[in-house]
Amino acid sequence: MAEHIQNNGITTGNEHGSVRSYVIGFILSLVLTAIPYYMVTEQLMTGRTLLLIILGIALAQMFVQIFFFLHLGRGPKPLYNVIFFGATAGLIVLVVGASLLIMDNLYRNMSPQEITVRMAQEENIAELNGLSTGACQGNNANHIVVISSESVQPQYIEASRCDTLSFAVEDGEDHMIMFGSYEEPVSYGGMYDVIVRSDRSKIITLNEVGNFTYHDHSNPDIIGSFSVVEP
Amino acid sequence: MNHAPTRDEMTHEEAADDRTMFGFWVYLMTDLLMFAVLFAVFAVLLNSTDGGPGATDLLSPQIALINTVLLLTSSFTVGLGLQAVTWFGLTFLLGAAFLGVELYEFYELIHHGHTMQSSAFLSAFFVLLSTHGLHIAAGLLWLGIILIYVLKRGLTRSNVRKLALLSLFWHFLDIVWIFIFTVVYLMPFTGV
Amino acid sequence: MKEFWLGKLDWSALPHEWFTIAGSVGITLMLLSLAAFITYKKSWTWLWKDWLTTVDPKKIGIMYFIVGGLMLARGGLDAIMLWAHQALAGSGEGYLTAQHYQEIFTAHGNIMVFFVAMALIFGFVNYIVPLQIGARDLASPFMNTLGFWLYVAGVIMINMFFFFGGEYAATGWLAVAPLSGTEFSPGVGMDYWIWSLQISGIGTTLGGINFIMTILKMRAPGMSLMKMPPFTWGSLCSMMMVVSVFPLLTMTIILLFFDRYFGTHFFTTSGGGNPMMYTNLIWMWGHPEVYIIMLPSFGIFTEVVSTFSRKPVAFYKSNVIAMIGVSTISLCVWLHHFFTMGADANVNSAFGVATMLIAIPTSALVISWIATMYKGRISFKTPMLWLLGFVVIFGVGGITGVLLAIPPVDFQLHNSLFLIAHFHSNAVGGVLFGIFAGLSYWAPKMLGFRLNERIGRYAVWSWIVGFFVAFTPLYVLGLMGATRRLDTYDASTGWQPFFVMSFIGGLIIALGVVLQVVQIIASIMQRKQLADTTGDPWNARTLEWSMPSPPQEYNFTAIPEVTTRDVFWKMKEDNAQPLPYEDIHMPKRTATGIYISAFAFLAGFGFVWEIVWLVVVSIVGIIVVFVMKGFDEHAEYTISASKVSQMEATRAKKIEEAKQYARDDHEDMGLIEFMRTAPGWLFGLVRNKS
Repeated sequence: MAEHIQNNGITTGNEHGSVRSYVIGFILSLVLTAIPYYMVTEQLMTGRTLLLIILGIALAQMFVQIFFFLHLGRGPKPLYNVIFFGATAGLIVLVVGASLLIMDNLYRNMSPQEITVRMAQEENIAELNGLSTGACQGNNANHIVVISSESVQPQYIEASRCDTLSFAVEDGEDHMIMFGSYEEPVSYGGMYDVIVRSDRSKIITLNEVGNFTYHDHSNPDIIGSFSVVEP
Repeated sequence: MNHAPTRDEMTHEEAADDRTMFGFWVYLMTDLLMFAVLFAVFAVLLNSTDGGPGATDLLSPQIALINTVLLLTSSFTVGLGLQAVTWFGLTFLLGAAFLGVELYEFYELIHHGHTMQSSAFLSAFFVLLSTHGLHIAAGLLWLGIILIYVLKRGLTRSNVRKLALLSLFWHFLDIVWIFIFTVVYLMPFTGV
Repeated sequence: MKEFWLGKLDWSALPHEWFTIAGSVGITLMLLSLAAFITYKKSWTWLWKDWLTTVDPKKIGIMYFIVGGLMLARGGLDAIMLWAHQALAGSGEGYLTAQHYQEIFTAHGNIMVFFVAMALIFGFVNYIVPLQIGARDLASPFMNTLGFWLYVAGVIMINMFFFFGGEYAATGWLAVAPLSGTEFSPGVGMDYWIWSLQISGIGTTLGGINFIMTILKMRAPGMSLMKMPPFTWGSLCSMMMVVSVFPLLTMTIILLFFDRYFGTHFFTTSGGGNPMMYTNLIWMWGHPEVYIIMLPSFGIFTEVVSTFSRKPVAFYKSNVIAMIGVSTISLCVWLHHFFTMGADANVNSAFGVATMLIAIPTSALVISWIATMYKGRISFKTPMLWLLGFVVIFGVGGITGVLLAIPPVDFQLHNSLFLIAHFHSNAVGGVLFGIFAGLSYWAPKMLGFRLNERIGRYAVWSWIVGFFVAFTPLYVLGLMGATRRLDTYDASTGWQPFFVMSFIGGLIIALGVVLQVVQIIASIMQRKQLADTTGDPWNARTLEWSMPSPPQEYNFTAIPEVTTRDVFWKMKEDNAQPLPYEDIHMPKRTATGIYISAFAFLAGFGFVWEIVWLVVVSIVGIIVVFVMKGFDEHAEYTISASKVSQMEATRAKKIEEAKQYARDDHEDMGLIEFMRTAPGWLFGLVRNKS
């Protein structure tokens, strides 16, 4: 039943789509599939160049199919279709590109557990279905450490989780406080350092349990420590 | 002051067809955006193998090449189908073969213990591929139903419109597959 | 065996806490009394044929208003519960558990955004857009009913937890991972969240596609894009954004669903999953979403300003470009919702600057409104009062928004009550006030009579005063360091007076809502005196006012030729003669949308409780209904020109009758008179059987 269904007056955008255009499109697509396949399996080159080339060829094939199969831009009043397609392409670049960029950026310093805590902190949800999320809520005790050019006072602090720790400066200089020892820096709650300016104090939330030491980056002999326990 | 009814009828129906084609185009764009999310997730999770095997260990460009050719040919026959309906039968067979190959690939992976629960990378792989496969399956079902409509009623205006919509849908799935082929099956082997 | 038939459902799922018992009993009683009333009035057939299965966008619009209005009450009740708890918590007398408190603020957010704002916006778009562009129906009337009923399925789903399960998501309105994973949220509450949003979200996408088709392809001859009324422009921008971002939401929720049901590792903390990817994706939808509900409101305000200043819109083109600008820029700012999650300074500042850029087109809009009012003959009817409240409150919201867009400031203020106050300024002052302005503006068109001005004014002032009393303290509290979603705080903080003041503000807002209900009832009581017999009570400018109120089902007897913006104003000036009648093609009513939505609901319910057979049956059901619909090629009927002329004559006679009661100078009923007469009227309503 090789009926011709073309001239029923439906504006499929296919009025101009002759068999010829499909054959051209088909052959071009086959070629544009074979080239990247060959390049990748035969390892003609590697790395970023290859990646860009195969992505470029994929885009080329997409345009071939859009032109020869979908006949976008032909037929009556194609403008809206073209605009929508262009806008969607832009959005896809945004969704994929920005996601890659942002994720690369966010995952420099955080482990999944730290993300859980930070996320819960952000949502202010400390407990969910009986499970503690690790986030701190409300207002708790504040411990103050005063940093001078010779020492920190007090040298040891005992706190419960969700308390806060304030660093204040006495000698009028900026200080960079690093967690751990000079040889072995560690992170506390996702942070490796705390920068305390001479003119204001710096407050951190003690949301990680355990014993920790810290030192002054410019003068590693000045050390202090604190221990955090579950309340 | 009536217009000649037949003429009025024609323009009214034509306008409706034009709107439907356009609306379907917009729908396809929303579907593309859903795939965009899956591609973004796949790209982000590509190396999150949780210590397990990664893309280069598990995936085979050969199988993907077979599938690419199958789907490309089916997209070609859809185009021919708009000239002569019989070609749609071939499309149906090619689409089914594509699904068969894809299911075989899944079976091999799962058989060797690489399920979508194994790692984030495999989750992204399986969900991206099966979303596309589900679209193909839906397309096949839809094609079958339209062919039943055509057998019962012949090539009425509404059936021709349905075939035209289906051909758009099918071409669109082929375009998505180009990127699956490139991003999922070729990109990991570039060594970036 | 029991597991096969009922999945996870068992006796413990039935209501057994005070709030679920209250909720389920309340809802059941409401539905029963409604059913009894309808049976008593013998109106079931009328309800089914004239309303539930209708494809008329005007009726669907009104149904959106009714369901959206009910959900506004539900979400408002949540807000009052939160306010009351916070006011008491300072002295240790809060009555909610932390878990319950979290569930309430989650539900409050979901309901207000998804089931109130979206519904009311869709109500307007349904009712007004076809009238404004000179169309008789929508591009796909069926898709429109389907979208509406999917929304209703979502509404039922979000209220299902009262009956089965007794818990709702407690993770905040966006259900951020990993809190929404099975580790922290093993219960069905999270699944209700997933399926209510998923089902209604798909309905929204369908609606978006449909209205884009309608606006772009069905305008009256001569109406170029730059001759479209502002509200239609706002709706078009909004719908374009719907189709741009709702697919992202749908797919993100699907992935979350996979994590929860099939143990995949997209957003989990184990197996290499990436919880921040969820935050990233959900805000890609979430930020534009607030503009989706905002833009139609902008359009409404432009209409209101122009009509009540007796002037064409000033800077129409900039106004339109500004709306397009807002929608475009708002797609590129989502990272400002997680400035503090570890992005580089460069990335943060790029998104911060993009966020601040939105202030420019928004200011262009405000300038357009002010310029429209300049030297206009302004009459301060209630829609205009809503506009004034809006400009002030939205101004505050906008300025605090620019503040929050500065990353260092955000580091201080994120997760604080300052943020809460900021977005409520925009959501209440912007979106809700726009909706209320639209309601009082278009009420004569939709109902056939205008609303009571006097009580309306009381309502406006209650809202404005209530808003400031409620949210100014939240700004202050935020600066004092109070975090959001706070269910306990220490008396020594000295915050309690502020929370109490905020609660009082909430009560004043509640009074405003009550006054709005009173306003509507009082208007119905006086509907004969308030009747709109001209079809154009405000001396307005756009096409929706060119036919009698409420419009006939076919909207226009003949499609007008559009030569200019404000075409109706021109027609009035030229004293244009009515066009001859013609045969009209109208879509037939259909129940297909209801069946598909019912199956979608059952599928969602099956997923929530893991009842596999129900899911399979429902999905097969959906496919079968679609296939059967495909066989139906006669979805239209024709109203002949002679029938049209007959219908128009009947309408004209009715209007003549109505004219003898209608009085423009009629003193609207006041509150005291209302209280005196309302009980008798209500009693009569029930007793009168017809």
